[in-house]
Amino acid sequence: MAARKPPLALRALSRPKLSHRCSRRPPTTLSPRSSSTQSAPKSSVDPTEVSHFSNLASSWWDPAGPSRLLHLMNPLRHTFIQRCLSTASQSASPQRLRYLDIGCGGGIFAESAARLPGTASVTAIDPTAEVLKVAEVHRRRDPRLMEPGRLTYVNTSIEELAVPRAEEAYDVVTLFEVLEHVADPAPFLSTILPHVKPGGWLVLSTIARTDVSWFVTNFMAEDVLGIVPKGTHDWRKYVNEGELRKWFAGQGWGTGGAMNVMGVVYVPGLGWREVSGSERWGNYFFGVKREA
Amino acid sequence: MPPRLRLSAQRAFISTPSTHVCLRLRRFASSSAATPEIYDVVCVGGGPAGLSLLTGLRNSPVTTGLKIALIEGQDLSKSRLPENASLDSFSNRCSSLTPASVKNLQEIGAWSHASAARIQPYHEMQVWDGLTDARISFDWDSARSMFSPRNLAQSTTIAYMVENLNITTALQNRLAELGGVDTFSSTKVESIELGQDTEELDLSSWPILTLSNGKTLAARLLVGADGANSPVRTFAGIPSRGWDYARNGVVATLKLEGPGRGGPDHKIAYQRFLPTGPIAMLPLPGNMASLVWSTTPERAAKLKSLQPEDFAAMVNAGFRLSATDLEYLHTLSSGQVEEIEWRKQHTTTNEPSLPMTVTAIQPGTVAPFPLKMRHADTYIGERIALVGDAAHTVHPLAGQGLNQGQGDAAALVHTIEEAVKTGQDMGSLLALESYNSARYATNNAMLGAVDKLHKLYAIDSGPMIGLRSLGLRTVDALGPLKAFFMKSAAGGA
Repeated sequence: MAARKPPLALRALSRPKLSHRCSRRPPTTLSPRSSSTQSAPKSSVDPTEVSHFSNLASSWWDPAGPSRLLHLMNPLRHTFIQRCLSTASQSASPQRLRYLDIGCGGGIFAESAARLPGTASVTAIDPTAEVLKVAEVHRRRDPRLMEPGRLTYVNTSIEELAVPRAEEAYDVVTLFEVLEHVADPAPFLSTILPHVKPGGWLVLSTIARTDVSWFVTNFMAEDVLGIVPKGTHDWRKYVNEGELRKWFAGQGWGTGGAMNVMGVVYVPGLGWREVSGSERWGNYFFGVKREA
Repeated sequence: MPPRLRLSAQRAFISTPSTHVCLRLRRFASSSAATPEIYDVVCVGGGPAGLSLLTGLRNSPVTTGLKIALIEGQDLSKSRLPENASLDSFSNRCSSLTPASVKNLQEIGAWSHASAARIQPYHEMQVWDGLTDARISFDWDSARSMFSPRNLAQSTTIAYMVENLNITTALQNRLAELGGVDTFSSTKVESIELGQDTEELDLSSWPILTLSNGKTLAARLLVGADGANSPVRTFAGIPSRGWDYARNGVVATLKLEGPGRGGPDHKIAYQRFLPTGPIAMLPLPGNMASLVWSTTPERAAKLKSLQPEDFAAMVNAGFRLSATDLEYLHTLSSGQVEEIEWRKQHTTTNEPSLPMTVTAIQPGTVAPFPLKMRHADTYIGERIALVGDAAHTVHPLAGQGLNQGQGDAAALVHTIEEAVKTGQDMGSLLALESYNSARYATNNAMLGAVDKLHKLYAIDSGPMIGLRSLGLRTVDALGPLKAFFMKSAAGGA
């Protein structure tokens, strides 16, 4: 085994059963990817992914468990959202924000967003019933999160969530570590757009699809070092930041510089660090504002 | 016989845990009777570390929205300086506050509430070996390297002698000014139990405190600032390890023949290493000084029993006479004044390098206390953080104990701020990790260094004496090395 330290970027989510590492065919646009798991046309959700996360439920909130890297990344998500909200804030952003967290899992981000003083409410959705159960159970450990209306979990996919009227849409819609697990990103993102209020932000995080990210997240993290459960990542599903920029510009979003990116790198012993330029080859946050 | 013994041992083994469980269950049932009031931070202990933590939290705009409680078993008004306290009289419990601690107290707005006339900055330290007279002197001027000019912007203050009461008074005043802390003074913690998992809420990870006034409090984060025998640490099941030094620290407030050899504007601290431990004299305002004499429990008891004038003579002898003379003097039950006067005539001393003569002892200030070293295995647990003496107790020879507690408090404020900013549960282990990693190694290094210093100087024969003298002389000759030591002592490195 390589005596090397775990390298720069890692993905922390864990263990689906299928892996396609051997057939790397990088798509260059957000066109539908050829995949053997397109059986659920109404949903973006890959059924094998759903069963995978059910297995994780019990250990989701264990600070030393397989989700540790996600827990460690969580504060940076808020740092990035704050940065987005403070850029291009010509329209006075409301005092208290309404969040929609898509693919909330055990609630790591949803709980933290709901605790912030500037939050009015958080709606958090996930298609996997078991992990939502974990989220519900864990929420009961914090009286603040049990205040009525502060944090609501809904067991649904985004496709099945009712589309709100524009003024009732969310100030911040978040999509953390989800895109790389979605079979077909373009229609998936299209479904999300109407949930963002005009003047609101869509904030996501994912991994760039490069030789480096394949080497780090699939080969090193899963195969060699085993610090991320094997089969967590299908490298072909990764999306590049340039592809996102182009796609959102095509929708007329993020004009006037209201598109942000932040590359982050996991450094063993130090935790996640912002590394400028790393969005081109590793984990990154991406935020885009809907025209007011 | 053996089988029966084994049987009874077994029974004892089985019955102990089961009664323990029953007890817990019963306590659970009784604590559910009253619904606990939910707090973000509950701090047990209103000493310098706990008060500094709460003042920091109330002072920060980030954490100002937290619901905070302070529980102190003693009457908090007793840990305040009396109004218009005389400058001829000082408490015997003083600390040497580092510039880093002072900076933190300034930042949280407490320093300006301290009584400035009762604080004595000092600018020089004289440290020497009682057996060989090898000496090291510390001041910022001699610490600079030969070619670098003196930095005028740099303060020449090594540290500040402050009565602990002055610090707690300043913190209490600042905290009263900030407001917003539910304070339970003269209130004991009767029990700490984990909460219950009920229909509406799962408080099974939350410490529930039952107070002597009948109130119950649930703590998102329970801070143990409750001293060396910390009940919070015991509740958390965090072991604390260390040893006793078989030494007592004898403290006293001294009156000297003058303000000091450097005059009122250049005060000097003195420390002489004797085989029984160091004797230190630290300057206070005017002609006053504070004594910390580490010695054996027998000698401490003897010193305590002496008449004030004999005790004063012994302090003077402690800085001047040989270890052999001192050993003999400790066998006398009285008459040290005359005996020492006679012996001084037969001892050559370099008076300008010694502290001024002690002329009187402030009545009622001579007190011995046992010296020990303890370090908790960790400073954090689920919904638990330890600060100050609850986390670590240090031999006081470097005067670092109170400073370490101030450093803990500042670091914990920072950790809580980060948790609030990013919506983390501040009581979760994940959120508290950064506090432990910020403080544990720092404190451990200080505890280790002070402990080794003690052991090195507690040896009175053999080759170590030569080596330690060499060490002092070498350090004294090397300006940059000295600067490094001084910065460490000042809390800056």
